[in-house]
Amino acid sequence: METLKTIFNTVLKNRGKQEITEITETSSPRNDIGFDSLDLAELTVRIEAEYDVDIFVDGVVNTVGEIIQKLEGK
Amino acid sequence: MSIFYADISKNQLKNWNNLISDIKQTEIFSQYCKDADFYRVFKQIILSLLLGKEIILLDDDFSEDVIKRLTGNSISETEDILVNKQLESIESKEDLLHRLQKVSKEWRITLFTSGTTGLPKRVSHSFDSITRFVQKSKNHSSSIWGFAYNPTHMAGIQVFFQALLNGNPIVRLFGLSKEQIFESISDFAITNISATPTFYRLLLPESNQYPTVRRLTSGGEKFDEKTINALKQIFPNSKITNVYASTEAGTLLASNGNDFSIKSEFKGLIKIVENELVIHKSLMGNSDTFSNEWYHTGDMVEIVSQNPLNFRFISRKNEMINVGGYKVNPHEVEEAIREIDGVSDVRVFAKSNSVLGNIICSEIVKNNDSLDESLIRNQLQTKLQEFKIPRLIKFADKISTTRTGKIKRN
Repeated sequence: METLKTIFNTVLKNRGKQEITEITETSSPRNDIGFDSLDLAELTVRIEAEYDVDIFVDGVVNTVGEIIQKLEGK
Repeated sequence: MSIFYADISKNQLKNWNNLISDIKQTEIFSQYCKDADFYRVFKQIILSLLLGKEIILLDDDFSEDVIKRLTGNSISETEDILVNKQLESIESKEDLLHRLQKVSKEWRITLFTSGTTGLPKRVSHSFDSITRFVQKSKNHSSSIWGFAYNPTHMAGIQVFFQALLNGNPIVRLFGLSKEQIFESISDFAITNISATPTFYRLLLPESNQYPTVRRLTSGGEKFDEKTINALKQIFPNSKITNVYASTEAGTLLASNGNDFSIKSEFKGLIKIVENELVIHKSLMGNSDTFSNEWYHTGDMVEIVSQNPLNFRFISRKNEMINVGGYKVNPHEVEEAIREIDGVSDVRVFAKSNSVLGNIICSEIVKNNDSLDESLIRNQLQTKLQEFKIPRLIKFADKISTTRTGKIKRN
């Protein structure tokens, strides 16, 4: 979770957006964290670099919990 | 009530009477249109049509610096045109639509497209060329359009004219959240959506069905089977069409799935030369860059069958990078990065991406240790539109080149 938060904040910082202090499993990158499609694209690349998993390959994931499930290979 | 435009994210609902009254109250028309509000952009295009004056569309996120370079002057230095009660006699929606059938031959719409060298290039269309593919009939009079493009780009303009000339409501979907998009489709009973594959991909997954949608159109990038199949579930009554269009030529080809054919009216005007799609100048808008009789699109195709001719798009001949339907010229981005103090060399390239098709990456060689990523980003934000700014920046000791010494693009 902490690594994910760091990745989220890197993306936010790159766009000059406000960084977040916490994320939960129900947080939605698009609705709660304010990601647009460019941010989501960057997020997938950064997560792939860290975990070697393309979280969006089977369609869009909506919450942090769903991202974690993908990373755990469920 | 007859809706002209709706945007649930801004609680904006304009009917045709609102539009007519706003038009009547207009005192000054400015040729340059740079506005984040879609309704005002549409109103200004309609004003230009009624007045027979050229309109120049600028992206809402163009910086003052970019505008100066594109147009030679800043917007504030341009002259406004006094409307002077010329439009006070418009009576109704029918009257307005009737007037739009008699647009002056002088009228032009000008927009900017990512050029193949450096700066975006200017392309102008006449009323005939921009509306060549508008289908107008009784069948289309009941359409309700989901508007999923930037209104200052070619694809958006074409959807706008298709809706306008048929008197159809336009409902904004572009830039809205997934929840707002589905809410709009359902609340306004949207029947037609034209959007990039990226737009559709970001709607997935979705468990509800939306039976009002009759037609989904896509273009700008390759459409994958998985997305197409998922869309068929969500929109069970829709027909899905892929179109080939460019800023220079507008919509030219439509297909079912990924296979394209040339319509009989374009026989002899569109051809394939050495696997590249080539278009006759009579189908093009005006731009300084078209001096030859034939325009080479740079889009490479693969022939599926000869008779009848069917083909598929495979790649771009030049190095344009397609980011979610927006074309990015890596040379323009490299030029902007090179201008930054402390940068000695740079390479801009694409990395394939499951969300946007491609994302922009760059490798930078610096000659000043104090230069860091955030300094570079701050400077690029004043020079480039957001989708052109590299999402990944890596510092390197030297730039990777191909064996022939060219910059590697992927």
